[in-house]
Amino acid sequence: MRRKIAYPLATLGMVASSLVVASPALAHGYVSSPPSRQALCAAGSVANCGAIQFEPQSVEAPKGSKQCNGGNAAFPELNDNSKNWPATSVGKSATFNWVLTARHRTATWVYYVDGTAVATFNDNNAIPAASVSHTVDLSKFSGKKTVLAVWNIGDTVNAFYSCVDVNIGGSGSTTPTTAPTTAAPTTAPTTAPTTSPTTAPTTAPTTAPTATATATKPPATTAPATGSEWAPGVAYKVGDVVTYQGVSYQTRQAHTSIRSWEPGIWTLALWLPL
Amino acid sequence: MKRRHVAALVVAAVPFFLIGACGTDVSKDAAPAATAVSTTNVKNVADITAGSTFNDTDVMFLQMLIDNLEQGQQMAQTATKRATRPQVAELAKAVQVTQADEIKLMKGWLAEWGKPATLDERVSLHADHGGMPSTGEKEIASLTTVPKAQFETAFLNLFLAHQHNAVEFAQLELDKGSNDLAKSFAERVKQSRTDQVQQMLKLLAG
Repeated sequence: MRRKIAYPLATLGMVASSLVVASPALAHGYVSSPPSRQALCAAGSVANCGAIQFEPQSVEAPKGSKQCNGGNAAFPELNDNSKNWPATSVGKSATFNWVLTARHRTATWVYYVDGTAVATFNDNNAIPAASVSHTVDLSKFSGKKTVLAVWNIGDTVNAFYSCVDVNIGGSGSTTPTTAPTTAAPTTAPTTAPTTSPTTAPTTAPTTAPTATATATKPPATTAPATGSEWAPGVAYKVGDVVTYQGVSYQTRQAHTSIRSWEPGIWTLALWLPL
Repeated sequence: MKRRHVAALVVAAVPFFLIGACGTDVSKDAAPAATAVSTTNVKNVADITAGSTFNDTDVMFLQMLIDNLEQGQQMAQTATKRATRPQVAELAKAVQVTQADEIKLMKGWLAEWGKPATLDERVSLHADHGGMPSTGEKEIASLTTVPKAQFETAFLNLFLAHQHNAVEFAQLELDKGSNDLAKSFAERVKQSRTDQVQQMLKLLAG
């Protein structure tokens, strides 16, 4: 019954994809890591992406395309190779992880390099599991390549498209290079040595500049933040004091600030008015 | 009856909260007044009243989002225990505490409108063309059993989808809702989840 309604809707094809622009309600999935082009846009790592940055899951188009946007005219930026998309270094194989915002019956997942299918995973029209990831052998290739990952839906005419830029066999595997940098990039090094001079000044700088610094800094850095104006993108620790619209607030729950987490009536779980 | 009484009291006692809730500047005079009483007033997030004008979309938005957030509580709770990196656990905890307040707020509004806070049936916005919701009991339960080494990848991907869904609900409210406060809240949901998506995608890449 419900299916019968589903097919006519799906056959509208172009009409359906233009609806995506108006409302993201038809969105369903994309490759999150290694980051696809739409994931880089949604993460804010690549700028001027157009509408796709708000709905990376929406690259839906009829099956059979070899384009990064699947031929969906709403997202031309995804096809723009001049955007200098950052490539993730991978080894001889790579594991692609998907975010699925709706679990559709699935025909196949297909990965293309240079227009040729290099891996196909047949789901036989099943509903995808909680986590979907595929390890793809890329040993025949080297250097910068764009992998086109396609999720072919089992019960509609459409597919979802994600282009993932990779550097195959570049400088070894992905994880060692990326992991340490994100661990403690912002606040740790500057504040920790100055504020806690008594106990551990000698050991801290030499041994563990990155990862452990985050664990040790909370008690040390409470003071410096006092009185500064609230801003998004700041790692606030419990006890930090900020001002917002002339009012002082103390951090109740450690967090990295984002839009709409500014201190106020809506966010009392994070901020205590002083 | 009782609730209306509370609402009237709140309006009389702390009108600046309501003004603030509508997204204007404010709070200059809220500060000194707040010092003594703040913690008592402030804790009653659920006492922010939504007003009597609403339509079916407002109700559906709140019901769907409450369901989404209650699932989110389970997922975030699991992440605070099983995440290996402190940044992931911290984000999960911050999401958990802010969304707990949002649940109270929304349940208050539905009670104010005389509507149930629960869904009859969990349906996807994609149900009309065969889509299943991204996160059901089975998917959430999988987070407690996935090997620890794979936990963060599993959690982040599932929770990314979950927060994308919240943005979809919020957009629906912004397009078709009628209650001003519910729409203003939807805008906040859209912003906070969009920015959480940014953080989670960066955590996945790192």
